[in-house]
Amino acid sequence: MNIISDTWYITMRDLRSRIRMPVFIFMTLFQPILWLVLFTQIFKSLGGLPGLGSSSYLQFFAPGVLVMTVLFGSAFSGFGMLWDMDTGVLSKMLATPVTRISVIAGRVIATVVVLLIQALIIIILALILGVHFETGVPGVLFAFLLLSLLGLGFAAFSNGLALLLKRQENVMAVTNLLTMPLMFLSSLMMPAALLPGWLNTVRQINPIDYAVVGARDLISNGYIWHDLWLCFVVLAALAVVGVTFGTLMFRARAE
Amino acid sequence: MAIIETHQLTKVFPGDIRAVDGIDFEIKEGEIFAFLGPNGAGKTTTIKMLNTLILPTSGSAMVTGLDVVKNAAEVRKRIGYVAQDVGVDEHATGKENLTLYGHFYRLDGKTIKERVKEIFDLVGLSGDENRMVSTYSGGMRKRLDLAMGLIHQPQVIFMDEPTTGLDPQTRASIWEYIRNLVKSKGMTIFLTTHYMEEADRLADRIAIIDLGKIIAMGTADELKKSIGGDVVTVTPCEDKDEACKEFIRRSEALLTGKPFVTGMKPTDGELAVYVNDGASAIPSIMQLLSGQGIEVKTITMSRPSLDDVFLKYTGKTIRAQEGTRTSFAQLMRMRDRRQR
Repeated sequence: MNIISDTWYITMRDLRSRIRMPVFIFMTLFQPILWLVLFTQIFKSLGGLPGLGSSSYLQFFAPGVLVMTVLFGSAFSGFGMLWDMDTGVLSKMLATPVTRISVIAGRVIATVVVLLIQALIIIILALILGVHFETGVPGVLFAFLLLSLLGLGFAAFSNGLALLLKRQENVMAVTNLLTMPLMFLSSLMMPAALLPGWLNTVRQINPIDYAVVGARDLISNGYIWHDLWLCFVVLAALAVVGVTFGTLMFRARAE
Repeated sequence: MAIIETHQLTKVFPGDIRAVDGIDFEIKEGEIFAFLGPNGAGKTTTIKMLNTLILPTSGSAMVTGLDVVKNAAEVRKRIGYVAQDVGVDEHATGKENLTLYGHFYRLDGKTIKERVKEIFDLVGLSGDENRMVSTYSGGMRKRLDLAMGLIHQPQVIFMDEPTTGLDPQTRASIWEYIRNLVKSKGMTIFLTTHYMEEADRLADRIAIIDLGKIIAMGTADELKKSIGGDVVTVTPCEDKDEACKEFIRRSEALLTGKPFVTGMKPTDGELAVYVNDGASAIPSIMQLLSGQGIEVKTITMSRPSLDDVFLKYTGKTIRAQEGTRTSFAQLMRMRDRRQR
């Protein structure tokens, strides 16, 4: 099957080039440390707050770090596509018999793989720092499934955006315009119970919040199935929308 | 047999920009065919229609006997593409770049290994296969780029401005590789260029393209012969001002209808006069002009270059870095020799 082998080669090409960038490896390791160690120190005194629902701010915030990492990592996935467009790599590939859809699929899959590795690093670090994982390994795997759907949706969307807007400045502007409010309009940094009423309403139509709720349930609260089921459906829908958008934009580009 | 054939091939971009405007041409198997024209003439658009990257608005094109729209997938297997941008992966070795394209062209692992070695030899990159492309020079990247379009031994290879941005020495070596390809593999090459010299030295046949239309086609010799024996370039002024334009206009009027003149083209600050025999025409031109008070600052003679051909057909110049223009002193020596 050419579609599978082509996707495989393009995924491997993407992963290989990332691994060879020392700055990239450094950032991958450094960012989780920054959030888990430094950021949670700033809000340490929130630990005893009623309504936090967790024993410490670190315990509360660790699932948020996973979601944030996946959100930003995937939302900037399209910059690799922009680079390939600007340098002529994309045109050159499309002039070969390569399976069209593998060119975007490989890049999106590589993004998700890298994000899951990053998530694993965060989890190991969180364990060392004393975060308690309520549902153990199966729960973490379930959280990985939810994070993969989130990453898939946003990475495909970001690649579609790159193909649509073509210019780095524009893609950067739209990406920031989208990701920052999505992060703030959720219970990522503050529990829903402590959010102002309007924000608590808005967060319920924010797909990011479903990733946060799902990950937090699995790590801190246990299998709360009525939550988790909804989170899965919303994130799966997000993935379908993102992949559809990315595919359509790619088809338009590849004619 | 024609390996590339187009009929009224047209591409209109949004805003009614007719980038390619109804072109017809045929390329024979084993030919090196060059599209020569300035930037924006429609060269790249034509290549991208032929290699299936963009769809024609109207008209048709056949490559290796297949329609580029209806049989796009099959066409892609049979052609190679070397784009103007060097589309190589910086963060991979030369060999990894080439191997990836081997996979894209559905070659098996064993064949890829053999071809990689063979092609690195062919483009003179043996020994550099396992170095990262980020350490390659511009010329090396271009050669790798060339190699990536060759791994599947295509019947036709499209090269869009293959030497733009390279230094003269590297350019000459790329030409050498291109010639070798035709000789050793019997490939057909379609290339675009805005370098006169490149078209002149490399191509079997040339099509001159401007504003989306082919305005002349033939071998370099045929094109040059089409404008007559020699080109005499008269410069009647030092500054390119209104007075200068007036001098050139008057010069043109004076020379019009003279039996030794076969054609004329005024340009910015110069007048190109096409004549059958330059050496004998020059004294007559000098005499005619100075008799009317037009002081000739410099006068040079050259064999017609493709630049002159381009000038004649389009009324514009693509300034080539060719050193074929002869100085006045050389000219006099030539005449002396001829008279002796």
